[in-house]
Amino acid sequence: MNWMSFAPELITLTSALWFLLLSMTARSDPKREHVAALVLSALGLAACLASVGAEGYCFAGAYKVDLFSQVFKVLLAAGLFLIVTLCGELSDIEERNRREFYVLLFVCTLAMMLLVGANHFLVVFISLELSSYSLYVLVALRRDRGLGLEAGIKYFLVGIFASGVMIFGLALLYGASGIAALDGMARVLPGIIHQPAVVIGLLLTLSGFFFKLAVFPFHFWAPDAYQGAANQVSAYIATASKVAAIGVLVRVIASAGDGGTYLVHVLAVLSVVSMTVGNLAAIAQQDLKRLLAYSTVAHAGYVLIGVLSMNPAGYSAAVFYAFALLVMKFTAFLVLVEVASDGGNLRVEELAGLHRRSPILALALMVSLFSLAGIPPTVGFTGKFLVFVAAMGEGHFTLVLIAMINVVISLYYYLLVIKAAYLLEPRQELPALRVSPPLKLLSGVLVIAMVAAGFFPNQIIRVAESAAKALL
Amino acid sequence: MQIADAGFPYLSAILVSCLAGLLLIVAIPEERKALIRRVSAVFSGITLVLSVIVFCAYDKSQGGLQFVEKVMWIPSLGIQYFNAADGFNLPNLLLTGIVFFTGVLTMWELETRVKEYYALYFLLVLGVFGLFMSMDLFFIFVWYDVSLFPMYLLIAVWGHTRKEYGAMKLTLYLLAGSALILPAIVYLFTRSGLNTFDVVALMQPGVFSADVQKFAFPLLYLGFGILAGVWPFHTWSPVGHVAAPTGVSMVHAGVLMKIGAFGILRVGIFLCPLGWQYWAQLMALLAAVGIIYGALVGLRQTDLKYVIGYSSVSHMGVVGLGLSTVSVDGLNGAVFQMFSHGIMTALLFSSVGYIYDRTHTKMIPELGGLSRIMPVASAYFILAALAGMGVPGLANFWGELVVFIAAVKVYPVRGIVAVLALVVTALFMLRVVQKTFYGPENERHAHLPDVSFGLGVPRMILAFVLVLFGLYPALMFDVIQTASIPFMNGLPK
Repeated sequence: MNWMSFAPELITLTSALWFLLLSMTARSDPKREHVAALVLSALGLAACLASVGAEGYCFAGAYKVDLFSQVFKVLLAAGLFLIVTLCGELSDIEERNRREFYVLLFVCTLAMMLLVGANHFLVVFISLELSSYSLYVLVALRRDRGLGLEAGIKYFLVGIFASGVMIFGLALLYGASGIAALDGMARVLPGIIHQPAVVIGLLLTLSGFFFKLAVFPFHFWAPDAYQGAANQVSAYIATASKVAAIGVLVRVIASAGDGGTYLVHVLAVLSVVSMTVGNLAAIAQQDLKRLLAYSTVAHAGYVLIGVLSMNPAGYSAAVFYAFALLVMKFTAFLVLVEVASDGGNLRVEELAGLHRRSPILALALMVSLFSLAGIPPTVGFTGKFLVFVAAMGEGHFTLVLIAMINVVISLYYYLLVIKAAYLLEPRQELPALRVSPPLKLLSGVLVIAMVAAGFFPNQIIRVAESAAKALL
Repeated sequence: MQIADAGFPYLSAILVSCLAGLLLIVAIPEERKALIRRVSAVFSGITLVLSVIVFCAYDKSQGGLQFVEKVMWIPSLGIQYFNAADGFNLPNLLLTGIVFFTGVLTMWELETRVKEYYALYFLLVLGVFGLFMSMDLFFIFVWYDVSLFPMYLLIAVWGHTRKEYGAMKLTLYLLAGSALILPAIVYLFTRSGLNTFDVVALMQPGVFSADVQKFAFPLLYLGFGILAGVWPFHTWSPVGHVAAPTGVSMVHAGVLMKIGAFGILRVGIFLCPLGWQYWAQLMALLAAVGIIYGALVGLRQTDLKYVIGYSSVSHMGVVGLGLSTVSVDGLNGAVFQMFSHGIMTALLFSSVGYIYDRTHTKMIPELGGLSRIMPVASAYFILAALAGMGVPGLANFWGELVVFIAAVKVYPVRGIVAVLALVVTALFMLRVVQKTFYGPENERHAHLPDVSFGLGVPRMILAFVLVLFGLYPALMFDVIQTASIPFMNGLPK
């Protein structure tokens, strides 16, 4: 085993352990801890970038390092780094819990890195559980105990149900094939995919990932968890956690060959219902985090369109979409965290006057929402376009049409948010927002990144295609 | 289709001048309003000059696609940055250049959020130019959406009369159109098997079967038709016209609706000619109903902007009728009508904008006798109204005449009924002119100033263009024919 190819995981593990050790000391210095977290997450990102080309197996074949997993690790490490940049003012996490907060953040990222590289049922299950449990606690860490605990418990209850279903699915798959390794499964599965037990097993297994991705009907936790968690934690769930879910979902689906008719039909139904339920429910939301949570449910539906195409174009479209989601959702949350600097939840109407209070944040919010809606020339549009091309290649015309109708529905509530930021005037005059220069710079970079990656997507598409090729 | 090589990239230069103007405006501090206006005028002026150069430099004897610019953009999907000019898009490029520049000058007195207004205005026009010159389906869709979204803020922030409702309705309607266009485009891409979005490659005979064309055409027709104001999907249009600020109304009715009609032509008709022929009867019916409906509803309006809004529905119906005739004359007339209606409606909105800014009303009963109070401003409106009635000597006459000749030949009943609707249009335009500019004066407005020379410049340009192409229509028809005749000759008989 080449330990260099395992460097991203090792650095993330070391970072988590370092914060764990720190949490055992009495004195706390939030500023230094934040800087340390920034440096460590940046190191992790650098390690991920350095080991992008690595390939091989670790731990007796239970863990696989290939371009697909490495690309996702880069996204995860980038997600972690970005979230940590927002943690300068962790006003909604008790000061004495800050170090535990970082421990959980790093452990969760480590678990998700393991998840996207997992090549054995057990590793899939354990890493999924590890990441989920970290998130349950992170959600419950919020200063407002009632809100955080309630959300954490809801999240936990739906989560353990999904885990139970998933392990049952894994057992069925193992029973039908006698194989527990994913790459071995990829050789056997296409031949037995038409057996009912296998289809059911696969669907139950996927339900664990659906839970993570907030696909209907495993989405009920999302609005409450987003609302109940501290803003930075919600941002983390909306970005890095979704990236990991897409990664493992694509890896498992890719092992199913052409997937068989039943699987495709079930995924198509889930996709349509997720998009529609997510978008319709989002219209009624006044709390910005709940709105973004429901929009996540809708986006899970769009991702599924790419995945159910079950062709390389669909898988690479899903990889591209993961990148797009990371950037778009993070930008929206960056604005949310900055505007709600007291750590509270932000209502849509509270964005009133944002264009005067901070033009750069208003612009970032507008571009991110247009991107989430899939308006060109943003990265969100290109993501949807690639997904649609892949699905149309398999003849899913109706599915694409329904998705486009959903895009129109989604635009309505995104426009309401943009309207609040650009048109509404606050009831009383509010002072200009004090955004630190680095965060202003980051907002500008993100705006440019969303437009540039939408207009010049070639390099990212190439990486996504290569990553998808590594799967097959 | 013949393709000629490009020399200087004039078409990209148009886009670059829009983009450069936009970036400069963004870089100028908010409070330097005069500088922002000047920069806007200079860059929109450059764009106008470039579009005039392209129009004049087009080699009519050679025809085909000229000023071709091709760069591979996304190789794995065969997407290219592919711009070119032919007889169909040249009139629209010229139209956009004129309306863009005059729209900037018309809004010279704007004081609120000037920087944001001009930045969004430039972005909108960038999308319009991009769409007109693009020959790649992917880029056509991208530019389509780029031109739509600034509209929401432009109307919602600077508009009036139920502006938020108008902006939201417009945006959702037009995006609903794109919800049909995108699946249709991707469908054609996958069905061709050529792995390209290149319009020229996809329009070759035999690429799509008749069934594919019959299926895709209505999607494209409806998708783009919503933006073209095709009845019964037009309801966003008068509401949007009324809510928008003057400069935006000019671009909105003058240029944006043409995007819809042009999309039907460039994507629907070019790629699915068999589908076009198959659905032509229905197109003619919708167009005829639109012409009559727009005229009749316009007759009942008391708000000047609503009058123009409904007249646009009627006039765009003429474009639709021309496209539905499946003939050279029909195409010629439709494209000419797109151009002349764009100029006319821009002049109408520009004039109404001036009247509204001074009198603070656009309700016809509250106006009256304006021709004595502000004779110059009134003259511009009356000239445009006369053009709208199809009076000979003004550009609109030719477009309507040619379309109706073609329509009566192909669809005698619908054609004749539509011609009769023109009488209604003339009636409501005359009624508006009579009640607004003649008759008893409203005392409240007696002291108001007439349009100054500076503010009159954009109206002068528009009026000049109306008269120029009215007196010398061959200037335009000769260009359009370089595209329409070869295109119709290349169709399967």
